[in-house]
Amino acid sequence: MNQQLLAKTFVELADNLVADFDLIDFLRLLTDRCVGVLGADAAGVLLADRDGELRVMAASDEQVRLLELFQLQNDEGPCLECFRSGSPVIVPDLSREAERWPRFVTTAHRSGFTAVQALPMRLRDEVVGALNLFRAAPGPFDPAGTLVAQALADVATISLLQQRSSHRSTILNEQLQTALNSRVLIEQVKGKLAERLGIDMERAFTTLRGYARAHNRRLSDVARAFVDGSEPLPGLGS
Amino acid sequence: MRPGGRSARIQVLVAEQAARRGGRAGVLDVCTAAVAALPVGGAGLSAMSRTAASHPLCSTDDISEQLEELQLTLGEGPCVDAFLDGSAVLTPDLLTGRLQDRWAVFADAALEAGARAVFALPLQVGAISPGVLDLYAEVPTVLDPEQLADALAFADLATLLLLDARIDGTGGPAPADRGFEDLDGHRAEIDQATGILTVQLGIGIDEAFVRLRAHAYMRGRRLADVAADVVAHRLRFSPHAEPDRAGDDT
Repeated sequence: MNQQLLAKTFVELADNLVADFDLIDFLRLLTDRCVGVLGADAAGVLLADRDGELRVMAASDEQVRLLELFQLQNDEGPCLECFRSGSPVIVPDLSREAERWPRFVTTAHRSGFTAVQALPMRLRDEVVGALNLFRAAPGPFDPAGTLVAQALADVATISLLQQRSSHRSTILNEQLQTALNSRVLIEQVKGKLAERLGIDMERAFTTLRGYARAHNRRLSDVARAFVDGSEPLPGLGS
Repeated sequence: MRPGGRSARIQVLVAEQAARRGGRAGVLDVCTAAVAALPVGGAGLSAMSRTAASHPLCSTDDISEQLEELQLTLGEGPCVDAFLDGSAVLTPDLLTGRLQDRWAVFADAALEAGARAVFALPLQVGAISPGVLDLYAEVPTVLDPEQLADALAFADLATLLLLDARIDGTGGPAPADRGFEDLDGHRAEIDQATGILTVQLGIGIDEAFVRLRAHAYMRGRRLADVAADVVAHRLRFSPHAEPDRAGDDT
């Protein structure tokens, strides 16, 4: 692990937790850095809704197959175990776990992943979600890397709280609900933009984010304006 | 939906109210069930819109009715803030000075009407936000985390019932006959498909949500499966062909 890159990453994440930051944008940055710093091939942040169902808040790639792999873990898989136990779940070789998680292992294999790590997102005495890391190559995870991954999971949790500090509610349930709804908005926008421009879901996301950055606006504000059709957004086909 | 989960439990409570009333489950049943389950005196629900007039839809009692009308007339109050912010506004005690500053007219009028605590919960699915559920109590009241989670679940069910009411009259099976099997799992594809339909049909996001669900109901298919077909381009909606398809196998 490159120490300099690591330090730079945490500085970058801290810099992005400014007063008016956008949660989805931030968590996507965090999953991207998981890939860059930890040598993961894919990463996702999952939050539990009030039914205890894990829902994807951000992923290093917005393609349907990867999101499916995260969602599938509501039935079985390392992320669900991590969420339930509140402890990290580290699986260096998924092919040995086919009996433990038959569906998950098959689907992960089809997507080209053979090793996986899930780190709990803890808030006081509650587990609110998990950070999920996938690797294409099997083999043990570097223990130092696991510590860093846990630190990144903690940053993700902090961002959830930070997001709402400027608003009224300080109640966790409500904070999570609002966070999950902001993700639903992004999915709706991805659909609309992908269809309009004839692009895939990942490009729809990065196009939207690129537009927001170029115009110095929050991702969710642009998303809302785009789906409502309430203002012209040149470049987004509207 | 998770058997034994919160949403399932809330749905049963609402269905019981509907059965008692002798009708199909609707937003009024959500209000009465919420009042029975939570430490509140009454509940009301208003249809809200950024572009059209907002209006009260139902309420369980006179005080709730007054609260709905007050907020919409004055254009201020927890319900208005909840709608604009897209997050719950919880007011355990209207008698605190800060709140009286924020809603100068509403706070006094609400106290006068007999409300002391007001909780406003936005109905929303991403960009879709058709209204707000308001709960009030006659005494200062704090909802504990469990009660708040229940209140949010009532609001979610109200959202679906309100939007599904628009399917009526299109020839689909009655909501009461459908159950809520599609509540299971918040699949990202359902939200993506909703966005895709806004383009394919040239309609707003609310309407796209209704059309996607109507399509699934009429064909007796799972919503998640229909959505996956839309996202994978196996199923395409068109503004002209859709009415024909809707008619041929129902």
